[in-house]
Amino acid sequence: MSASRLAFAAMVFVVATSSACSKEPPPPPPAPTGPTAEELAQMRADSIASARQDSIAAAQAAAGRARAEAERIAAAQLAMRTTLEVLVHFDYDRADIRTDAESVLREKVDILRANPGVRTTIVGHADERGSTEYNLALGARRSESVKTFFTGFGLDEDRFVTSSRGEEEPLVNRSDEAAWGQNRRAQFIITAGGAELVAPR
Amino acid sequence: MRRRALLACVPALAAAFSASAVPAGAQVRDSIPGVTLGLVYETTYTPAFALLPFGARFGGEAAAPQVEAIIARDLRYSDRFQMMDSLPAALARESVDYGLWDRLGAVWLLSGQVEGAGDRFTLVLELHDIVYGRMKESGRFDLPNPQDAGFRMAVHRMSDQVVQWVFGEPGMAASRIAFSMVVPGTGAKEMYLIDSDGENLERITNHGSTILSPAWSPDGSKLAFTSFQSGLARIYVRDLRTFTERMIAPLQTGDHITPAFAPDGVTLAFAVTSGERSGIFSYNIERNCCLTHLSGGRWNDLSPVYSPDGRWMVFNSNRLGTAQPQIYVMPGRGGEADMISPYTFDRPGYFTAPDWSPVGGMVAFHGAIRRGTYHILVVRIEDRGRRVRQLTWEGNNEDPSWAPDGRHLVFKGARRWGKGLFVVDVATGNIRTVLSGVDVTVPEWSPAQTGG
Repeated sequence: MSASRLAFAAMVFVVATSSACSKEPPPPPPAPTGPTAEELAQMRADSIASARQDSIAAAQAAAGRARAEAERIAAAQLAMRTTLEVLVHFDYDRADIRTDAESVLREKVDILRANPGVRTTIVGHADERGSTEYNLALGARRSESVKTFFTGFGLDEDRFVTSSRGEEEPLVNRSDEAAWGQNRRAQFIITAGGAELVAPR
Repeated sequence: MRRRALLACVPALAAAFSASAVPAGAQVRDSIPGVTLGLVYETTYTPAFALLPFGARFGGEAAAPQVEAIIARDLRYSDRFQMMDSLPAALARESVDYGLWDRLGAVWLLSGQVEGAGDRFTLVLELHDIVYGRMKESGRFDLPNPQDAGFRMAVHRMSDQVVQWVFGEPGMAASRIAFSMVVPGTGAKEMYLIDSDGENLERITNHGSTILSPAWSPDGSKLAFTSFQSGLARIYVRDLRTFTERMIAPLQTGDHITPAFAPDGVTLAFAVTSGERSGIFSYNIERNCCLTHLSGGRWNDLSPVYSPDGRWMVFNSNRLGTAQPQIYVMPGRGGEADMISPYTFDRPGYFTAPDWSPVGGMVAFHGAIRRGTYHILVVRIEDRGRRVRQLTWEGNNEDPSWAPDGRHLVFKGARRWGKGLFVVDVATGNIRTVLSGVDVTVPEWSPAQTGG
């Protein structure tokens, strides 16, 4: 290396050092940061609490879902029971199944198919017109007609008991067409297997 | 000459026939083609009947007016007499002045005397034939104390004795009527009994359920009926003397309804509707055996009633199709059935609730040519529905049942003023109210209530 080159390097060094020394002293390096023992304990506690909160929320959510599910199932059960129990009505002095009754009975058939354990008593009723004894027979014909509808869909006839109350138990205690129409009916009493119904597919 | 005589007879015969078909006074207000329908009063003779105020001695003084009042009303209710009322006591003399009674228009005169006999009484009755001016019949009869339960029925039997003396026919005073009715304040329809004169209303069951269709045993000691106590309609037989009751259920399925006793008192016919087997069955309730299927299938044969000799049975059937119940007669052990209600092809009518007369070949039922209100109708078996006697013309009338005299019918009726239990006399058409303001169901008149 030549002497001139060394001088140049020294100058650069001086300039560099002089310019550096003209500023304020640099700040001290930051102290090493870390939680204290108390803070750690607090954090641990918070974490546990938070986890507990989470698990409670999760549990609550699960319970809510279960409750909703139970309610949904209960509602479905109720709906199915209601469908099984809904009355069907008949025309004056007739026992054949009306078209409006047919759709009601089809819904019952679906539920009855999905629940082979369900047993039902079908009770036929008549309006007040006609003779007491003849109306017993008419009510019996109505209940038989419903049973025949069910067995026609392949349901086991042993699942149904038919009975009649004739004109003895009117639904509406009046003597007009509207009341008579309500009173000419078949009623469905679930006698077994109605506790846990399975929804039809 | 002979021919002229024959020809002369023709109008007379025709007149006689038309008179018998529709006698004078008959009303024809409706018509079924081919069927004579009318209120046919048989020409009945109702003689004037005087009741002498009853005498008394040896302590019978208090009972005598009661006995007389019961007999006087029974004889009025018999519809066989023109009762001469409110006779002055001055006419009650030791000896009967036949000439005087004849001038007063009496045909029969009854005198009575009640005598005390310990704690019981003796009734001496004398029936006088005013026309022939002599005593026709007399008798001494034991009577219980008026406070005893059997007092009124014992007096009713005296009334029937008088009818028997005059006409040689059974009366109906000593009888009761069974029917069901809702117990006030409850939903239960229980069985009740009432005497033929409307006294002694009594409830005899406590099923807390619906009871229907009573049927008397021939000796009047038992009642069969339908009850829903078990949840299904079943037949029960109640012994009115021992107050015991049992269910008769030879079949497990179906509703068992409308029982009827055969004259043997041990065979019970009844209808089974729905279930595995349906139709009319008979069953021996003494030996609990011999279930026999008499008729029916899908026809809803029901409401059987035996003829008095048990050889025949009248019943209701739907075998023509729905909405057209008709009345049929078949052998008591089952067999071919003949329709006896009026029938025309396009207007078959609606006829139900038959009852066979205990005396003759007549059947009462109710029905209508068109639906709506029903009336009490009577046919003779041999007429096969071609001739019908209509006995009611007002309101709605259902479920007739014959009295033991074969002349009166009890039925349930509805009038504009209300519902009740009514009695009609088939011979005169007279109607009286036994109970009013109550909704009775299927009344059934008992046989004659014998002593005990």
